[in-house]
Amino acid sequence: MERLSWKKQLERRGGALLARGAVLLLGALMLGRSFAATFTTSLDRDTVILGENVTLTFKFEGVQPGGLPQLPAIPGLQPTGGTSSGFNSSSGPDGKMQVVQTFAVPFVTQRTGDIVIPGFNVEVGGQKLSSAPLTLKVLREDPSAPPADYATNQVFLWLALPKQELFIGEVIVAELRLYLRSEIGNISDLQIPTITGDGYNAGPLQQVPQFQRRVGNATYNVVPFNFTLAAVKNNDLVIGPLNGTVVVHGGPRDFWGQYRQRAQVAFSSPPQSLPVLPVPSENAPANFTGAVGNYTMTVNIGPTNVATGDPITVRVQISGRGALNGLMLPEQTAWGDFKSYPPTAKVETTDALGLQGAKMFEQVISPENADVQELPAFSFSFFNPETKTFRTLTHPPTKLTVRPGGVAVAPTIAASSKPNSEAAPQQIDIVPIKQRLGAVTRTTAPFLTQPVFLAAQSVPVLAFLAAFVWRKRTAALANNPRLRRQRQVEQTIRVGLETLRAHAAQNQSDEFFAGLMRLLQERLGERLDCPASAITEAVIEERLRPRGLPDSMLDELQDLFQACNQARYAPVRSVQELGAVVAKLENALRKLAEVRV
Amino acid sequence: MKSLRIMLLLTLIFGGYRSFAASEVETQFELANKLYAQNKFSEAAGAYEQIITNGTISSVLYFNLGNSQFKAGQLGQAIAAYRQAERLTPRDPDVRANLRFALNRVQGPTIKSTASQRWFGTLSLNEWTVLGFAGIWLTLGLLVARQIKPALATALKTWTWLSAGGTAVLFICLALALPQNTPGRIAIVTVTDATVRNSPLDEAPGAFTAHDGAELRVLDHKDEWVQVTDDAQRFGWVKRSSVNWSPRS
Repeated sequence: MERLSWKKQLERRGGALLARGAVLLLGALMLGRSFAATFTTSLDRDTVILGENVTLTFKFEGVQPGGLPQLPAIPGLQPTGGTSSGFNSSSGPDGKMQVVQTFAVPFVTQRTGDIVIPGFNVEVGGQKLSSAPLTLKVLREDPSAPPADYATNQVFLWLALPKQELFIGEVIVAELRLYLRSEIGNISDLQIPTITGDGYNAGPLQQVPQFQRRVGNATYNVVPFNFTLAAVKNNDLVIGPLNGTVVVHGGPRDFWGQYRQRAQVAFSSPPQSLPVLPVPSENAPANFTGAVGNYTMTVNIGPTNVATGDPITVRVQISGRGALNGLMLPEQTAWGDFKSYPPTAKVETTDALGLQGAKMFEQVISPENADVQELPAFSFSFFNPETKTFRTLTHPPTKLTVRPGGVAVAPTIAASSKPNSEAAPQQIDIVPIKQRLGAVTRTTAPFLTQPVFLAAQSVPVLAFLAAFVWRKRTAALANNPRLRRQRQVEQTIRVGLETLRAHAAQNQSDEFFAGLMRLLQERLGERLDCPASAITEAVIEERLRPRGLPDSMLDELQDLFQACNQARYAPVRSVQELGAVVAKLENALRKLAEVRV
Repeated sequence: MKSLRIMLLLTLIFGGYRSFAASEVETQFELANKLYAQNKFSEAAGAYEQIITNGTISSVLYFNLGNSQFKAGQLGQAIAAYRQAERLTPRDPDVRANLRFALNRVQGPTIKSTASQRWFGTLSLNEWTVLGFAGIWLTLGLLVARQIKPALATALKTWTWLSAGGTAVLFICLALALPQNTPGRIAIVTVTDATVRNSPLDEAPGAFTAHDGAELRVLDHKDEWVQVTDDAQRFGWVKRSSVNWSPRS
């Protein structure tokens, strides 16, 4: 629900001109400088019923006129008297004073039809100012009036649609009217639902000056809210039902001037449908991009003397009434000799509903060769829902002088530093397809679900575990010299046995038995934890036999020691004999390694 | 020697087959592009889909498929294709531009991405995964270096902690990026008007209507119905035939 504060704004047009001269004088004295002067006129409503009042407001900005301009006689409008004026001054962003003075002149309508209020020319402070003419539509009766039987309601909501049908893309201003019986003195806590629905977009509600209307035999004060309405689908749109509540005040007033009676009243509006028509496809210009409304176009192109690759800025301003935000710059197919960059766009609206205004496009193009002599004509097409016709606005070709240039440099496209949807480059169509297939894959399964990927992740974990274990073992080895010696001896024996076999094969008896002796010393030294050089045959009897080693093993060792000793005196042995000794040594060394000494 | 010859032969056969298959895909791709250029958008979309159905997956294929479907007036299908392309190449400006352009055409309710979703969406799930696991590799690599060269332990201590912290952050990001990449999370309306009903029955009253291209968050599914919600917290059931959705999509 949309909560709107509401103040009583009954028309008080019978009052005399308010004496604000002192304020005006003070303001005038304070102002040393002022903004550029502007003068505008406006009507509080552009459509009224015959006999109703309408207020014409004269607004002066940046200048203080001596008084209300001389009013000419306007056929169909009769001044009712009670002109009011207002004055406002404020400090602008650059510190300069800004003054606004208004004069509100009420008229009563005397005839039906379109009444043209002419433009006014005034001279203030030596400046000649003029306003644009206005048109007031006076109807004999309200085409959107609620049925007479609604007069039984104290409060009701009524949707007034200005048209009987709507084109897709067309934006109209609809009026949601809150009818309050004239007995109601004031209201508060007005709750009006937000207007949403299928197939249309509705803008926010804007309260506009109220008026009085008769419904049946009852008089109502009407509080109107304007909003924009645009169909987006080719279906009849249905708005409503809309339900809301309001607290009404009435009855006699108390000492403080407040109404004594107040009550909350629920109200609703019936659903209303509006046929929606598609924009006709017949006679649609080729460059029609869906713009619906009534627009004018101005185009500014420059510079026109450039080298190839130099940027040329094309500024297009589309002004008028319609869905300005949705306007798109049509693709200019004739601009083939130019490299085009995405345009930027900015919308400036001049009315509270954002329906009237201009959209400014700025597109940078650059000629691609020096043969270019002109920028082809630029055209923009729209569908006017009032005349139900297409219209194409065309800017003629622009002569260009293009000379050969160096390497084309992409121009810098001015853009707001703040991300802004309006200022962002406007995309008028999808980016075309790609011509190269690029990287392809056979699966879209994420890595997280692929066993190979997950298995590969075990590699660093295993590497770390391996390094950790290696480090621990290295540390353990460093702190255990006996274990370290055991490893070294194992290594020595492994290599030594290979050497022995080689010596045996080559029948090198001396080297063979020298090596054999060394291996025996290494193994026994490691086992008995004494230097290898200290090992002789005597250790068998002195240190091994007392430890209870098997006699067979001791005998084998003794044989090996004796074989070494004999070799000193009778070194020549056959290859077979040496091979047998190697086997015997291997057996003895293995047994020694296995026993606990 | 014999086994080497067999290996060589198999390599040649397999390599030749792969080369042939790749050129076949290229030919089909060029054919689809030609159809697009001839404004035969539906036919082009069918051709791109055929390549994908045959097992070739590429961001470009999904992008071109999306373009074809967009031009053929299939807004919802186009958005689904752009989403697939976005999953593969999330920072491709063309994909992002066309997806944004298509989403702007959607009428009525559709879920909007939050700023955090957009931020996590700048990298694909695989990229987040690789980053996270690269952090693990780096951290464990530093730990291994410290084990092998204990002298480096002090010098590498800060780097190890930084790496471990970065890895933790990357894994948190991966965990947060995971939900938005979960298959079957979003359903995209592919018909002009999809009536979302209060219960999974044809006779159930409509809760709201979603239009072509609208993206809806999937809560559950049952038979031929998918339970969805929109940003306005409206819930309902929509027929599977009206949306582009599968539990694995």
